[in-house]
Amino acid sequence: MPKYEQILFNNMSKAGYTGSLKEYEAVGGYTAFKKVLKEYSSSDVIDIVKKSGLRGRGGAGFPAGLKWSFIPKDHVGPRYLCCNADESEPGTYKDRQLMEFDPHQMLEGMAICCYAIGAQTAYIYIRGEFDLGAEILENAIQEAYKAKLVGKDLFGSGFNLDIYVHRGAGAYICGEETALLESLEGKRGKPRIKPPFPAINGLYQEPTVINNVETLANVPYIINKGPEWFRTIGTEKSPGTKVFSVSGHVKKPGNYELPLGIPLREIIYDVAGGILGDKQLKAVIPGGASAPMMPPDQLDTPMDFDSVAAVGSMLGSAAITVMDEDTCIVWAAMNLMEFFYHESCGQCTPCREGSGWILQILRRIEGGEGRHSDLDQLLELCTRIGGRTVCAFGDAEIGPILSTIKHFRSEYERHIEEKGCPFHPNATLSMAH
Amino acid sequence: MSSRVTLIINGKEVTVEAGTRVIEAAKQAGTEIPHFCYHPKLKPDANCRMCLVEIEKVPKLQTSCSTPVAEGMVVTTESEKVVEAQKGVMAFLLGNHPLDCPECDQGGECQLQDFAHQYGAMTSPFGETKRTFEKTYFGPLIEKEMNRCVSCLRCVRYCDEVIGSNSLGSMNRGAMHEVGAFANHELECEFCGGCIQICPVGALTSRLSMFDYRTWQLNKTDTVCNYCGDGCSLTLETVQEDVKRVSSEAGTGRNTGDLCSRGFFGYSAINHESRLSRPLLRGDGGDLEVTWEWAYQKTVDGLKGIVEAHGAKAVGGIISAQCTNEEVYLFQKLMRETVGTPHIDSGARYGYINAVSALTQVFGTARLTHYEDILASDCLLVFAGEMTETNPITALKVKEAIRQNKAKLITVSPYRSKRETYISHLPHLAHQHLQIRVGTENTAILGLTKAILEKSPASEMPEALLSKVQSAVSNISFSEIETVTGISEQQFVDAGTLFSEAKQGVMIVGRSVLRGNDGYQSMLRIAELAILSGQVGRPGTGILALSKESNAFGAIEMGGTPEFLPGFQETSEAEKGYTVIEMIDAAARGEIKALYLVGENPLRSIPQKKVAAALENLEFLICQDLYSTETTALAHIVLPATSYAEKSGRFTNHEGETQKLRQAIDPLGNAKPDWQIFSTLINKMKTEDKIPYQKLLGHSSVDVVWKEAVMAMPPGWPVLSNEGISAQISSYAADADIRWTLPEPSPQGEGFDLQVGQSLFHAGKMSTYASGLTTLLDSPVLLMNPEDAERLEIEDGELVQLSAEGEQVMVQLPVKASKKIAEGTLFVPEHFSLNVKTLLPLTLDATTGVPYGDHGRVSLSKVRVTA
Repeated sequence: MPKYEQILFNNMSKAGYTGSLKEYEAVGGYTAFKKVLKEYSSSDVIDIVKKSGLRGRGGAGFPAGLKWSFIPKDHVGPRYLCCNADESEPGTYKDRQLMEFDPHQMLEGMAICCYAIGAQTAYIYIRGEFDLGAEILENAIQEAYKAKLVGKDLFGSGFNLDIYVHRGAGAYICGEETALLESLEGKRGKPRIKPPFPAINGLYQEPTVINNVETLANVPYIINKGPEWFRTIGTEKSPGTKVFSVSGHVKKPGNYELPLGIPLREIIYDVAGGILGDKQLKAVIPGGASAPMMPPDQLDTPMDFDSVAAVGSMLGSAAITVMDEDTCIVWAAMNLMEFFYHESCGQCTPCREGSGWILQILRRIEGGEGRHSDLDQLLELCTRIGGRTVCAFGDAEIGPILSTIKHFRSEYERHIEEKGCPFHPNATLSMAH
Repeated sequence: MSSRVTLIINGKEVTVEAGTRVIEAAKQAGTEIPHFCYHPKLKPDANCRMCLVEIEKVPKLQTSCSTPVAEGMVVTTESEKVVEAQKGVMAFLLGNHPLDCPECDQGGECQLQDFAHQYGAMTSPFGETKRTFEKTYFGPLIEKEMNRCVSCLRCVRYCDEVIGSNSLGSMNRGAMHEVGAFANHELECEFCGGCIQICPVGALTSRLSMFDYRTWQLNKTDTVCNYCGDGCSLTLETVQEDVKRVSSEAGTGRNTGDLCSRGFFGYSAINHESRLSRPLLRGDGGDLEVTWEWAYQKTVDGLKGIVEAHGAKAVGGIISAQCTNEEVYLFQKLMRETVGTPHIDSGARYGYINAVSALTQVFGTARLTHYEDILASDCLLVFAGEMTETNPITALKVKEAIRQNKAKLITVSPYRSKRETYISHLPHLAHQHLQIRVGTENTAILGLTKAILEKSPASEMPEALLSKVQSAVSNISFSEIETVTGISEQQFVDAGTLFSEAKQGVMIVGRSVLRGNDGYQSMLRIAELAILSGQVGRPGTGILALSKESNAFGAIEMGGTPEFLPGFQETSEAEKGYTVIEMIDAAARGEIKALYLVGENPLRSIPQKKVAAALENLEFLICQDLYSTETTALAHIVLPATSYAEKSGRFTNHEGETQKLRQAIDPLGNAKPDWQIFSTLINKMKTEDKIPYQKLLGHSSVDVVWKEAVMAMPPGWPVLSNEGISAQISSYAADADIRWTLPEPSPQGEGFDLQVGQSLFHAGKMSTYASGLTTLLDSPVLLMNPEDAERLEIEDGELVQLSAEGEQVMVQLPVKASKKIAEGTLFVPEHFSLNVKTLLPLTLDATTGVPYGDHGRVSLSKVRVTA
C-alpha cells in the first residue's frame, strides 16, 4: 500500500497492466470522456478544470483551466490542441513513463480538452528520441479510432476528433511552446515573439492550447472524481500530485508520484532512500536543468510551485537532481552550460552570443586558468541575458550560473586561487571540451 | 478611417496611427531607436534585442520594433536601464565580430559601425577566443562573410516575405548560427540582390565590385533603370566615370526600393569594352574614325542628297524604345519636320503599340492602371505567366497584393503552375491557373468573355457593345474553344465569375498577348472584357499592359510611331508613314533609300533574310548605337550614343508614369547622348553650311527639349483621370466591329511548341554585355518539361537539334529540364541566339503591322556525339 495517494501511476502500478485500451477501459477508462460528451457543455468542462486548480506540469505551472478559457469562444475556423511531449529538460523522464505505460490516460485527457476548447484536431509533439513512446501512442490512437473513441461524430454527439503523433527532430528548444508550433508547422523550431499568445494566434495562426502530457493525463480523473477531490491532494495553490523524476547521487533514483507540497528532504531521504554512500548533500536542482540550484539549508522547502519560487528557484518539471559533497559545483555549472550552449536556437543576440562566452569562462575556471574578475564578468553577462530574450531560454541558461555563484561562490574562488579544480585535479582547459 | 493613438515618448506627446510600432512612432517623434533586425519592409522579428525600451507599468524592457503603440503609453528610450541594455547587446554583437572594417565593403555605411560609435565600448569585455567561420560564397555574385553577421535575418526574411523566392534560411544553432542557401543547396535564386541591399552589415556583399571602392568615395545619382518598363528608381553609385554598384533606397520609387537581377547586377554593360566611342565612316578602305563635325556633315549631306534626289519619303527612321522621351520627340521632329518624311517608327512596334493603340481606341487613354491599383485589387487576371521574367517588379506588386490584400490571382499562360524551387512563378501562386496551349491567348479571352457574358455582365456596359459582343460569341461553342485552348467551360466560368464578381479587379497583359498572334485584336477584346466585368474606370481596376522596353509607352506618346503624333494625336491615313516592317519592305523594293536606325538592330529583331537584303539595298544607312552590332556593320555612318547612365531625360513606364533620368557619368570617349545628336542635326539640316559649328549646338539642355515637347502636346494632354472613359466607351461601342475567329487547333502528338522569350537574368541584348548577368546565364539553353526529357532520355546539358518544316536551318542547343514548362512545349531565351527565331513563322498584325514570331512548331532530335 503506497504511502502517498497516486493518480497517474495507479493503473500502471497494477501487476500485469500493459496500457491497452481494453485494460484501460476495465479500470474506468474513457468514462470521463463519455460523461463529458453526454452531460457537460464545453464551458462546464473548463469550469471544472478551473475549480480543480490543476496547474501546468510542463514547468511554468500556469492554471490549465484558465489557459483553456483564453480560446476565443466566437472564433470561426479551426482550433488546435498540442500535447507537449517533447520532454527534453535534462533530468526529466516522467512523460516518457506516462506515455509508454498508460497512453490512453493521456489520450482521454486530450479528448476532453479538445471538447472543452472546441478543437477537432490534436497533435502530440513527441521528442524524436522516444521511438517506443511514439509507437505506443500510434497504436493506442489506432485502438481508439477502432473503438470510435476518436474519429467522426463521437457517440452521436456531432463532436469530431483526430489525433496525430508528430515526432520532433532533436532540439531542446522545441519544447518551448511557440517553437514547438513552428516546428509542427514544418519550420525551423524557434520561439515566436509574444504577444500574440498561442490561445489567440497559435498553430497555423489559429487559437491553440498547448499542454504537457502530465497535465492532460490528470484531466479524466478530475472529471470523474470532481475538482473537490483533486484539491484534497497537494496544497491549496498547487493541488494534486506531481511526478518527480529523482536522479543523481541518491540510492533509489526514479519517477515518484507524490503530493505537491511534499518537503524536498522527504523526497530525497525517504522516498529516494537518501544520498548514495551516505555522503553529505551539497546541492539540489529541484526542477530540471533550468531551475536554479538549491543549497542544503533549503531542504525543508515544500515542493510546490510557490514555495520553490519563494526560495529563488522553481519547481519546473520537478526533475530533482541530487549532488553529493564530492561534486564540483563549477564543473556542474559548466556541464549545464555545455547543454544550453548546444541548445540555444541562435535567434536572439543575448542568448546566442552570451551562452558561448559564459561557457568559455567556466571552462577556463574549471581548467585552472580562472581570474578573479571572472565572477563579476559572469554576473554581468547574466544580467545582459536575463529578461532580454525572445523566450524563457535566456533566463533558464543563467539560472545555474547565478545560483551557483550565489550559494557556492567560495568554490569558484577556490578554483581561481588554487589554479585548478579541487575535485578534478587533472582538469585542464582541453578536458573541459 | 483608421484611428489615432496618442502616447508619450521621452516626455514628448506623439500622435500616430493605431497599430504603429513604437520604433516607428519614435521615429516620427524624431528619436531614432537603434536597431538591426527591424526594417520597415519586414514583419517584426525582434531578434537583435537592440531596440529595447522601457514602457511604464511593464516590468521587463520591451522590443520597440514588435510592440504596437497604445493610448497613453509612456515610453522611455534613453534611460540608464535602456542604454545599459543596448550597450549589452552591442558588446555581444561586437564580441565575435572580426572588426575588419578597413577591408569590409560595407565600411562607412554599416549599422554596426554607426551604433558601435554610439553604444559600443572602447574595449571588449571578452578575453576568450572568437568564434570564426570560413568565408564562403553564395554563388558567383554574393560573398558571405558570416563573421560579420549579426543574425538579424533581414536577408532571409526579405527573400521570404518580399521576393517570395524562399531561397535563404538559418543554418546551425546558437553561436554557430549562420544564414545560408536554404537546406544548404547551391544558391539558385532570382539574384535580385535584395539580401545584399538589406544586410545592415558587411555579411553579404557583392562580388562584382569587391574591394573596388570605399563607400564614402561613391557619388550617388538617382535615375531610372533602362532594362524594362517597370520604371524602377535606382541609384548609380560611381567613382569618377565608373559605375561601381547600383542601389535603390528602401521605400523609394515605383519599385519602393526593390530591384531585380538586371537592375542590381546589370550595370557593367554601361562601360563595356565593346562600346562605340567615336563616329565611324565606312568607305571602301574600311572604317574611318572621324570627328563629330565630319560625321554630322556627312550625315546631313547624305540625308539631303537622298531627299533632293528621291524626295523626303525615301527616308525612314526607327528609334529604340529605350531612348528617352526627349530623344524620341526630337527624332520624330527631325524626321517629320526637318527631313519631311512620315516614315518614323520605334521599338514599340514589336508589341507595345498593340496595347496603346487598342486601349486608346476604347478608353481614350492607355494610362489606366497603376501599381497602387494592383495593390488595392482583390482579384488579378494575368495574361503573363512569364511576368517574373519580363517585369519582375510589377510581378512583386502582384505578389504583394496576394500577400497583403489576400487578392485572388488567375493566370492564363502556357506555363505549368509548378515552379523552379527558388524562383517565383506567378502561375504557381495562382488561385486558378488556366494552362492554355501555346499561342491561344486570344481564344482564352474569348472563353472568359463568353463565360462572363452568360453569367453576369456588368450593368453599366453600353447596350450597343453588349449586343455586339453577344452576337460575336454566340456562334462559337465552349467545346470549340476547349479544342483550341485545352480549357474547359467550367474553368472559364470559374475564372470569369471570380474576376467579374471581385470588388476590384485588375487585368495584366504581357508579351504573350502583345506579341502573340493578333495582338491588337486581343487587346481590344481584353478591353471589352474589362468593360463586361465592370473592372475599369475605378481605383483598383483596369488594364496594365506590360512593356518590355523602358520607354515603350513614352516612345508612342512622344510621336515615335506612324499612327500617332506627339500626345497620341492620331495621324490621318494620308499622312501615316510606314511601320518597321513596311520600311524594310520599302527598302527592299528600292522605295526607301536611306534609313536612320537609333539603337535598333532589325537584323536581330526580325530574323529574316530579306532584312539583310533590304539593308544592303540602301543608299544610305545611319546607325546610332551603343555597341557594334550585325546592323552597324552594314552602316555607312555609325554614330556612338550614350547609355542611360551618361545622359539625362525622361522615361515613361508602362503605368504611364514619367520619371527623370539623371546623368551619373560623363559620356564614354566621344559618344554623345542621342538627344544632342538629333538637336544638332535638326539645326544643321535647316541651316546653310557656312555657319560656325559652335552656333549650331541646338538645345542647351534636355529640360529645354522637354519644355518644347510639352508645348507640342495637344490640349488636354496628358489624360490622367478616368472621368472621360465612359463617354469614350460609348463612342467606341457605336463604331466597334467585333469579330472572333477561331484559329486552327495546333497539331498534337509529334513535335513541340517552341516559344522564345525572356530570361530572368536578361533584357534584350544590352544585358548580355553585363558581366554580372552573363555570369548567371551566358548562352541559350532549351528549357524542356522534365517528363518529356525523361521520356526522350535527354539529360540536362545534352545537345539536341531543332528543325522546322520547310526551314533549312537546324539549331543545336543544350537542354535543361524545367518544372514550369508544360509537356509538349519548349522554351528558349531570345538574348543570345538569333537563328532559333528563323525556325519560327513570322506573321504581321493586320492592323498594326506588329511582327509576330515568338512561337511555332518544331521537331526535336538528339544529337549524336561523334568522337
